[in-house]
Amino acid sequence: MRINEIRVGVSSCGLAAGAQDVLNRLKERTDVPVLGVGCIGHCYAEPLVEVLTDAGALMFGNIQAKTKDIDALLSLSPEKQLHNRSERTDKENLRITGMIGKSEPVDIDAYISFGGFDGLKKALTRSPQSVVDEVKQSQLRGRGGGGFTTGVKWSLLAAKASNEKVIICNADEGDPGAFMDRSLMESLPYQVLEGMLIAAHATGATSLYIYCRAEYPLAIRNIRTAIDQLRQRKLNVIGNKVLDIEVKEGAGAFVCGEETALIHSLEGKRGMPRFRPPYPTDSGYHGLPSMISNVETFANVPVILRDGATSFSSIGTKGGRGTKLFALAGDVKYPGLVEVPMGITLGEIIYEIGGAEPGSVKAVQTGGPSGGCIPASLFDTPVDYDSLNSLGAIMGSGGLIVIGNNRCMVETARYFLDFTHRESCGKCTFCRIGAKRMFETLERITAGHGVMDDIEFLEDMGKKVKAGSLCGLGATAPNPVLATLRYFRSEFEAHVVERQCPALECAALCDVIINKAQCTECKLCLKNCALNAISEDYVVDNDICTRCNSCIESCAQDAIARVTAGEGFRGSVAKEVG
Amino acid sequence: MDSDEITFTIDGKAMTARAGETLLQVASRNGISIPTLCHDERVTKTTSCFVCVVKHVQSGRFVPSCAATPQRGQDYESSSPAVYEMRQTALNLLLSEHTGDCESPCTIACPAHAQVEEYVRAGRKGDFRESLRIIKERIPLPISIGRVCPRFCEKDCRRNLNGLPVAINEFKRLAADLHYEDYMEELPPLGDKKVAIVGAGPAGLAIAYFLRREGISSYIYESMPMPGGMLRYGIPEYRLPKALLNKELAHFDKMGGISIYCGTTLGKDIHLETLQREYDAVAIAIGCWQASSMRCDGEELAQDGIVWLGKIALDNWTGENPKKTIVIGGGNTAMDCVRTAIRLGSDEVSCFYRRTENEMPAEQIEIDEAREEGVNFEFLTAPIRLEKKGKLLRLTCIKMELGEPDASGRHRPVPVEGSEFSVEADTVIAAIGQKTDAPSGLKTNKWGDIDVDSADLCMSDNIYSAGDCVTGAATVVEAVAAGRKVAIAIADRFSKRVHEEPETINASRGHWRSMAKDSLVTLKEVSDEARMVLQQISIDARRTTFDEVTVTADKTLVSMEGERCYECACTSRDTCKLKQHSETYSAKPDAIGGERLVLNCDTRHPVIIHDRNKCIKCGICIKICNEVIEKTLLGYKNRGYLTEVGTAYDMAFPASCAECMSCVEACPTGALDRRHKL
Repeated sequence: MRINEIRVGVSSCGLAAGAQDVLNRLKERTDVPVLGVGCIGHCYAEPLVEVLTDAGALMFGNIQAKTKDIDALLSLSPEKQLHNRSERTDKENLRITGMIGKSEPVDIDAYISFGGFDGLKKALTRSPQSVVDEVKQSQLRGRGGGGFTTGVKWSLLAAKASNEKVIICNADEGDPGAFMDRSLMESLPYQVLEGMLIAAHATGATSLYIYCRAEYPLAIRNIRTAIDQLRQRKLNVIGNKVLDIEVKEGAGAFVCGEETALIHSLEGKRGMPRFRPPYPTDSGYHGLPSMISNVETFANVPVILRDGATSFSSIGTKGGRGTKLFALAGDVKYPGLVEVPMGITLGEIIYEIGGAEPGSVKAVQTGGPSGGCIPASLFDTPVDYDSLNSLGAIMGSGGLIVIGNNRCMVETARYFLDFTHRESCGKCTFCRIGAKRMFETLERITAGHGVMDDIEFLEDMGKKVKAGSLCGLGATAPNPVLATLRYFRSEFEAHVVERQCPALECAALCDVIINKAQCTECKLCLKNCALNAISEDYVVDNDICTRCNSCIESCAQDAIARVTAGEGFRGSVAKEVG
Repeated sequence: MDSDEITFTIDGKAMTARAGETLLQVASRNGISIPTLCHDERVTKTTSCFVCVVKHVQSGRFVPSCAATPQRGQDYESSSPAVYEMRQTALNLLLSEHTGDCESPCTIACPAHAQVEEYVRAGRKGDFRESLRIIKERIPLPISIGRVCPRFCEKDCRRNLNGLPVAINEFKRLAADLHYEDYMEELPPLGDKKVAIVGAGPAGLAIAYFLRREGISSYIYESMPMPGGMLRYGIPEYRLPKALLNKELAHFDKMGGISIYCGTTLGKDIHLETLQREYDAVAIAIGCWQASSMRCDGEELAQDGIVWLGKIALDNWTGENPKKTIVIGGGNTAMDCVRTAIRLGSDEVSCFYRRTENEMPAEQIEIDEAREEGVNFEFLTAPIRLEKKGKLLRLTCIKMELGEPDASGRHRPVPVEGSEFSVEADTVIAAIGQKTDAPSGLKTNKWGDIDVDSADLCMSDNIYSAGDCVTGAATVVEAVAAGRKVAIAIADRFSKRVHEEPETINASRGHWRSMAKDSLVTLKEVSDEARMVLQQISIDARRTTFDEVTVTADKTLVSMEGERCYECACTSRDTCKLKQHSETYSAKPDAIGGERLVLNCDTRHPVIIHDRNKCIKCGICIKICNEVIEKTLLGYKNRGYLTEVGTAYDMAFPASCAECMSCVEACPTGALDRRHKL
C-alpha cells in the first residue's frame, strides 16, 4: 500500500503526549506530506497519527518519536492500529467536527477546500432576517449550558436599533474535565469565526470579541492567526462594514463563564456577576447591546447555514436538536472528545463509545461541577436538555465524567464543591459562605466525623444556596451534592451512621491489609511504601499508613487491599494491648 | 394612572411601581420594611447580601428586592415564614463568617454587666469621675467591690494572651476612692410605692439602690446591729476596712428614700405576712450564713468559720489569740480565717484541704498572701475525728489522693488506706461552706436555697429574692447583679410596663484561651508595660494589724494601666446593621459553625480603622469610592471564602481619606470605622 499523506494530531492533548516530536521525526523520515492536524478525539491513545493510503485511511495510536514506533507506522504494521475507530464513529455523528483532522487548523485554503465559508457565503446572499429565521427554525439551543434558543437570542439583538452592537464568543471553558471548546478553537478556528460572522450579518453586530481563558495558549494562537487570515482576505467585511474582531484573554476565573461576569472582565473589571435584567442584549459590553454565545454554538452555525435548518433539526429529539460534543472522561476505557446526535442514550456513550464494562459504572456526572450525577440505572435516558434536567442533572457545556463502582459518591460531591466554592466570586452571601459551610460539612463526613444532622444541613442549605445566589455559579454549585443525596443517600448514611465508606475511597474510613495467602513476599510493597508502614513480616500498620495506594498498585499478586476501617492492624492499639 | 406605572402586590397588598423602581423602593414607599445590608441609593446595585429577598409567588423563586423590578400582575411575599427563614439563614451565614466583638469580653464576663471597657477608657483619659458614673450604672458598691471582687472581667481579658490582664478592678477602686462622696446620681422623685427588703447585705442594698433610681422607696430590715452583711461580718477588715464600708453606706442615706432598720430579725421582730400586707412588694436577701458540717466525729468541737469571723467583726477586729490553729477548707472563707488567726497573734496557723492547691476554690492571690503571712498548707488531708485532749484539741486526719474528676470537673479525693495521723491544736475552724437558713414558709430547692423564677427572681405574687440565699455562697458582684434584676422586675410590675429584654447578639473573636497569640486582632496599639502592681503595707504590719493590706494606686499609675487595654468592643455596635437585622430575625453567631478566618486589621491610618474580619463583602465602600467619589482606592481581592475588600497591594489609606470618609460612613458594619476610641 502506498502512503499518500500522514496527519499527526497536534492539539494540546497530542502535544502534551509528544506529538510534536513525532511530527518532526516523520518529516525527517518520509517525503510524503506530513501535516499537523487538530484534535482527532481519541485522547486515550495520544499521540495519534492517521495515515492516508491508496486503500484508505488507517489510524494509529500511542505513537512515540521512537524509531521502533515510527518504523511500525511507516510499515503500516497492525500493532499500533486502533481497532475501535470504526465502532466508535458508528455511534458518533461528526457534523460539527467533521473537518477536524483533515488539514492544518490555521490553513485557510484547506478550510475553504473542504467547504469552509460555504455557510457564510450562503448567509450573505440572504437578508439578515431570513438568516435569523433559519437559525430559529433549526431549534439550535445554546451549547454553553443554559440551553437558551439561539435564534431567539439573535432576534433580540437584531431588533436593537443601535449603531454599535457586540457579539461575544464565550470561550472561558472552566469546568474541570471539559475541553470541547478548546478542541474546537485549536482545531477549527475558522468554523468558530465563520459562525460569528454569520451571526454578525444576521444581527447587525459591529464588534466581535472572543473571551478566552489564558490557559488555552494554543487556542488563542490559532484563533489569532485565523483572524489575521480573515482580515487579509477581507472576510471580516460584512456588507460594507469592517468588523472589529478581537481576542481577549481571561485570567481563568470559573465565574467569568457567567455572561455578566464575563462582560465585566472584558471591560477590564473584576469578573463579578450582576443582577439581570437588564440582559446583555439590552445593556452589555460598555452598555451596548451585546449577545454572548458559546464556542460550540457558533461552530454549529455554519453547518446549519450550509446544510439547512431542516437537515440540522432532523437530528435529535424535541428536548434538543442537532449533535453535541462531549468530553468523555473518568472511568471509561476510551476517554476523549465525542460528537453524538442528541437523543443518544447515556449508556450508548458510556458503554459503547467509552468502552466501559457494563456493571463497572455507578453513575455519570453531567455538566461538570454545576451539574449532577445520574445513576447507572437511568443510563437509558436520552441525552437532551430536557431529559437531563428532569433527572436533576444538566446538559451543561458537555462534560461527562463517568464514575466507577470504586468511587465514593460523598467524596465525588466533596470534590466538585471544593472546586465551585473556591471559584465563587465572593459577592453573594449564600454562595460565598453557604457553599463553604456545605463543603466543610462534606469534609467532615468523608473524614468520618459526620452526624445525621449534617445530611439534613446539606439538603437544606443546598436548596437555599441555589435560591439565594445571583448567578449560575451559586445557583448550581449545590447540584452535585443534591443529586448524590438524591440517588446515593445510603452512601452518606453509611459514612455517618456506620462510619464506613462503602466504596473504600475515603482514607479516614479505610484500612489496608495484606492477604498472606496470596502474598509471595516479593518485597515490592516494602520498597514502595514511603513511610515504612509495612513490617518485614508483611503487616500494614494502619496508624502509619496514609492510604496512598502505592503498595496496592505495586502488588503483582493483588494481595493488598483496602478494607473497612478497624479491620486492619493498628500498631498503637496492639502496643497498648501488649 | 401614568402609563409607565404597573400594579402588583406585596403580602397581598396592591401597590404601584413607577418604571425602573425596585421592589425595595416600592415596599419602602408603602411602609413595608425590608431588611438590607448591601443597598445604598447612591450607588449601582451591589446585590450581594441577599438579606432583602422576597418571594415571587408565581414562580416560587426568591429575588433580591434591592435589584428586582416588579412586573405587572406579579405577587410577592415579604413576611411569609419562607422569606423569614431565607433572611435568617443569610444573616446566620454572615454571622458565621463575621468576627469582631460586639461587646468586650470583660463586659460580658462581668456578672453585673458593667461597661468595663468604657470605665477603663474614661480612667485612661484621667476622667475617674466619669469612670465612677459608668460603674455605678451597674455597681452600687464600688468601694467594696473595687477591693473584694474576684475579677471575672480580668479572667476573660484578652490581654491575658500577651502578659497579665489589665488591672481592671483598680479602676473601680480608684474611681470610688476619689469620687464616691462627690458623685450623686440623678434621681427621680419618689413615688408612693414602697418595698420591704429583708437583709442589708450586698443584694439587699443593691435592690434598694436600683429601686431608688426608679423612684421607689425601700425599707430594709437587718438582723445584725449594722448594715453591710458579709461585707461587714464576713470579709475581714484587712481586705475591706469598715470605715470605708461606712462611707459607702452613708451614700444610701444621702440618696433619700432608703431606710435601714438594724437589729430586726425576720420571724422574730417582723413577719413575712405583715410585710406582704404593708408593702407593695417584699424582697428577701438574707444571704447564707449557716456553716456546713464537716461530717466527722466531734465536729461540734470546731468553730464555724463564718461564725468565728462574725464574732471578731462584732468586736471590731479584736479577739483572743487562737494560738495553734487549724483551718479546714479551701475557699475564700478559709483564707479569711487563717489570715485573721495570724493577725490575732497566732504563730502557727495551718490550712488543711482535701484536694491540692490547683483545686482550691479560693482566689490565688488570697492563697499567695496567706502563705506570705506565714500560713502553712497541708493538701490532700481530710479530717476524720476531732476530740478533746486536755486543754487542746486532737484532730485525726487521713491523707487523700486524687481520683477521677467529679461532676464539677475537679478530681475527687480518695482516702489512702492506713495513712491516718493526728495533730494537736488549740483552735480548729471549719470553713467548709455555707448554707442558706431559709425562713419557714418559703419554697426552697434541693440545696436548701430559696427557689425563684430565674427570669425575674420572683417567688410568688409580690415576693422576690436575690443574692446568696438564692444562689448559695457566691460573690458580692453576683449579689449586686441579682439585686438589680429584682429591682427592675419590681419596678416593671409597679409601672405595668412590659419589660422585654431586647434580643441581643454578641459576635466574639473568641475566648483568649482558645486563641493563638499571633491570631489576636486588635483595634489599637497598646502599651507593652507590665501590669501595674498595688503597693502593700509591710509584712510585719500585715501579720500584726488589721490594716488594709494594699494601698489604692495613684491616678497616673492607673491611667497608664489603661494604655494596656485593647479596647476590644466594636465601635459600630450601636449602628451595625448586621447586628440590628440579626436581632430582628433571631440570627445567631453560632447557628452555623465553620471556619472563621483571621484577617488583619489595618490601623495605619490616623482616622480610619479597617477591620476585614467584620466585612460582609457587600461592596458598598468600593462603589462609593468609585462611583460617587470617582476614586478607585478599594477593590475586591481573592475568590470564594477568601474574598476580601481592600486597597491595592495592601497600601495604607492615603491621608486625604480623612477628608472624605464616605466609605466609612456607608459601611453597614464596623469593618470600616472611625477611630472613635482616641
